[in-house]
Amino acid sequence: MMALSCLTRALRSLTLSQPILLSSQGVAETKLATHVPGIVLNQCRGFLTTASLKQNRTHWKEREKYTIKAIGMKKTGGRDYTGKVRTHGIGGGHKQKYRMIDFQRLRYEQTKVDQPFDEKVVEVRYDPCRSANIALVAGGSRIRWIIATENMQPGDVIKTSAVIGRMAVSANEGDAYPLGALPVGTLVNNLEIQPGKGSEYIRAAGTSGVLLRKVNGTAIIQLPSKQQVQVLETCMVTVGRVSNIDHNKRIIGKAGRNRWLGIRPSSGLWQRKGGWAGRKIKPLPPMKVYVNLPSISAS
Amino acid sequence: MLPETAQCLKAVAPLFSQTVLLKDLSRLSTHGGGSHLQARRHLSISHCLTAKARPVRTPRERVDIPGLEAVTYGEKMHYVPGLSKPALPQWERSYKDPRYYRSPPAHEMPLFKDKPCFVYNQRTSALEGVRQALWLTKTKLISSLPPQLLSLSESPANQIPDQDERVQNAIKHARFWDTMEERPGKERYSNTMMVNLLHLCATLQSNHPAIGRRILAEKCSLATTWKRGEDLFQIRGQNGLLHTCMEPLPEVSGKQEVSDTADHVLETFYPVSPTINLQKVNVYKEEMNCSGFRDEYPYPHAHTLYFLEGADAMCKLRPDQFRAKMLMFTFGTALVRAQKLYGPQRVLDHPVTVQAVGTNGRIFQFMVFQLNTTDLSGDDGIKNQVWLEEDVELYDFAKVRPFIKRKQVKVPAGLAGYKPETFSKFLSLYLHGAV
Repeated sequence: MMALSCLTRALRSLTLSQPILLSSQGVAETKLATHVPGIVLNQCRGFLTTASLKQNRTHWKEREKYTIKAIGMKKTGGRDYTGKVRTHGIGGGHKQKYRMIDFQRLRYEQTKVDQPFDEKVVEVRYDPCRSANIALVAGGSRIRWIIATENMQPGDVIKTSAVIGRMAVSANEGDAYPLGALPVGTLVNNLEIQPGKGSEYIRAAGTSGVLLRKVNGTAIIQLPSKQQVQVLETCMVTVGRVSNIDHNKRIIGKAGRNRWLGIRPSSGLWQRKGGWAGRKIKPLPPMKVYVNLPSISAS
Repeated sequence: MLPETAQCLKAVAPLFSQTVLLKDLSRLSTHGGGSHLQARRHLSISHCLTAKARPVRTPRERVDIPGLEAVTYGEKMHYVPGLSKPALPQWERSYKDPRYYRSPPAHEMPLFKDKPCFVYNQRTSALEGVRQALWLTKTKLISSLPPQLLSLSESPANQIPDQDERVQNAIKHARFWDTMEERPGKERYSNTMMVNLLHLCATLQSNHPAIGRRILAEKCSLATTWKRGEDLFQIRGQNGLLHTCMEPLPEVSGKQEVSDTADHVLETFYPVSPTINLQKVNVYKEEMNCSGFRDEYPYPHAHTLYFLEGADAMCKLRPDQFRAKMLMFTFGTALVRAQKLYGPQRVLDHPVTVQAVGTNGRIFQFMVFQLNTTDLSGDDGIKNQVWLEEDVELYDFAKVRPFIKRKQVKVPAGLAGYKPETFSKFLSLYLHGAV
């Protein structure tokens, strides 16, 4: 079909007679042969009559309004927007859908600001985009996905509060509090490093951090990697351990199962073992401070 | 493809002067470049169309310093590096073109109100299901059909001759004999079955001439407004199949039972708010009250609403949400009628009764709704009543092919497990008001 239209278009441009408006596609008339006065060539601009190519753009990530619907994703194969490989070892795998997770647990409804609120767990399910399970929670006139904790069941009521009282609260699993409100030694997950930014640490399946101590408006937490971080005590955190605790015990079994997950084999090139191989004993890295402490000269 | 074209052209070439041809060919390759793209994948163009989207850049903030005029390239009429972009006014066409119409922002629309309204439509999937619908409509649930209604189909005068056989034939027609397809889809057979059963019931018209004073209407739209607590609610949307009647249905429960409903306490479902999953709009018509028919329509009284579960292919509701939708639309139909008849009267002297039947082609939901009051704002006082009989099976299996497991026929082909009492419930709802 395409070849035929190409041929007709080429032949049409060779017509000797007076140009007639042949194509219904719209004709861009250009006078070509200026030094051959007898022949006036008629040229039409080629364009596609099929659907817009714009529909191929991957705009699924640009959605701004929150939805609990699963959004269809496109595989990138590790390529960035210029088409070059950005991350090796990605490609193929089962088709996945993206569910918008609300990592900012303390997100008030518009009418009720600064009041602790409860939410009910509607559903706990698998999510292809992460190792942990996710939970659909409904509270007020809002419904959203969050990361599920270990023993979360449909029907549970979980609480979110931003109040730091004088006494430490006795929190149930799945509740979210600022670090300052929790007793020392609590297992926590979904750690914020800046108040109000949304949780960034301890979100993988089966992980949990420990609240080690509270100093002077800040809290020190041990991450699953045993590294310690110091954050402000107003940072929100979820109590308990992230769900899907048997994630590290599953058996991949064969190379093909990794391909189902979208992981490609590594290169296979033989490389001499260097210093990276073998036993390493490293001291723990120093505590990471995410608190902008006032400098000594200011005080 | 294009190389072939070029070959052809070269063959034709001696006919023309060489210069024209070369120029023409070069023109072809630039202008008719689209064909080039198809011939070989032109990666510099095609990859960015299919790959990951470019990260969205936030436009740089424009700083306006009073007294300073930015040097722009506006006068040059083309981009000049180093000069700032001219701020041009938005171009508006002098004529009206509906293809490029842009609606004004919501707060500039004439119907914009500050108070939001919660809209329930036929695709709403209410999270809490029937419980939520009961709260929204201020209704007391009674979980079986009223006995005086069920007794209607028991007397032999009210039964169809060869009833069981004809009903089974109606089911078989819908499931097996309707189409040339191997197995008709759910949307098709549930619709056919509903029509067949209604047709069967209508054969009783010779005994009960009141049945003839009814008419069926498909997909009529409904709009009604009410206040519940502080919030404003609306039902907007399309019903299923509506059976309307010249005479109103008689009320199901007496005055005593109606006044007893004042003691009933509505179930709440904290922490979930009853407005969850309802569409919150600020642009709406106040005092919307329309049954979808004109005032002089000769069949003004709604008798029964028939809902099909697979009617809307775009929206699949779970059973509880489906029953909630049935309840809401039945309530809406009754409320429209009550507001037309009695106006702002609080407790109705003659309650409005509307029935509903929902099916997915096998399982039936029966509902009788009685609107006792239109004063829905508070939680106290007289409530409305609903009789709901859920998940009644008409038959167990209707298999086109036998279900075979481990070389044993578990379910034979054909209709199995027909339950005649389900159809008698259907018939008694149909006969209600005509006997």
